[in-house]
Amino acid sequence: MTAPLPKRIIKETERLQSEPVPGISASPHDDNARYFDVMVEGPGGSCYEGGVFSLELFLPDDYPMCPPRIRFLTRIYHPNIDRLGRICLDVLKNNWSPALQIRTILLSIQALLGAPNPDDPLNEAVAKQWKARENQPEAIKTAREWTRLYANK
Amino acid sequence: MGAKVPRNFRLLEELEKGEKGLGAEACSYGLDEGDDLLMTNWNGTILGPPHSNHENRIYSLKIHCGPSYPDSPPSVTFISKVNLPCVDPRNGNVDLSKLPSIATWKRDFTMETILIEIRRFMAAPANKKTAQPAEGTNF
Repeated sequence: MTAPLPKRIIKETERLQSEPVPGISASPHDDNARYFDVMVEGPGGSCYEGGVFSLELFLPDDYPMCPPRIRFLTRIYHPNIDRLGRICLDVLKNNWSPALQIRTILLSIQALLGAPNPDDPLNEAVAKQWKARENQPEAIKTAREWTRLYANK
Repeated sequence: MGAKVPRNFRLLEELEKGEKGLGAEACSYGLDEGDDLLMTNWNGTILGPPHSNHENRIYSLKIHCGPSYPDSPPSVTFISKVNLPCVDPRNGNVDLSKLPSIATWKRDFTMETILIEIRRFMAAPANKKTAQPAEGTNF
C-alpha cells in the first residue's frame, strides 16, 4: 500500500494541532494523511475580515522538495486567486524552499488576503478592477460582498 | 506506492494538462463551466480516426466526474450521434466496460485515457466500417 508518512510531515501535522496558528486551522483527512482541510480567517482590517475561507491542501510525493498544492474551496474575489480557487503566490512556485512549511505557507496566504497584488494577477478581470484607481472602491466592495455571501461559517 | 492524489488535485492536473494541450492531439477536454469549483462537468471531443467511417468527424462528449472519481470512473456520454457497440443508441451513454483496455477501471486512468480508448475502439477492424448516422446530428 502507501509508503509510510515521512517524519517531517508527521512533525508538521502534530505541531499544527498542538500549537495552532491564530486564525488558521489545518487537519489531515482520516484516509489520507497528506490531504488537509484548511480554514483561514480573513485578516482584520482587510475586505475579507469576518470571513472564514475553506481551502484544501495536498502534500505531493516530492514534498518538501516541491511546494504543497493548495486551493480555495470558498469563492473569493481576489486578484491573485482564480475562479477555481487556484492561488498565484511566489512561495508556492519559484520561491518555494524546503525550509518553508505548511504553517508558513498558510500564513503567506492569509497575508495575501490582507495585501492583494494586482500587478501579478492570476485573475485578470479582478486585477483590472483592482488596479484602475477609479474602480478600486468598487472592487473592494465586491470582495466584501463575496466574503459576506460565501465565506460565512 | 506513492501518495494518493485527492480527487480535486487530480482533476486540476488533468485540467492543466488539457489546457496546455499536452494531451493527445486527436482528443481534447476541458471544464464545462470555468468557475465550477467542484469540477464535475467536462466536455470532451474526439477527432474521428483516419481510414474509418469516422474520419474527419468531430464528436462531442459530456464527462461527469462524481465525488468518487478517480476511484470510480466518470460517466461519459456522446452528444454527437455515433454508432458504436459501446454506446447506447438511445441516449449516447458510453459503457466503459465494453472498451477492452479500460474495462477494469484503475485509478491511474484519466479522462484522456478514456477518450483515446474510445477513439481506438472507433478504429478497430470490427467497428471502423460500421454505417454512421448523418454527420452533425445529436442524441
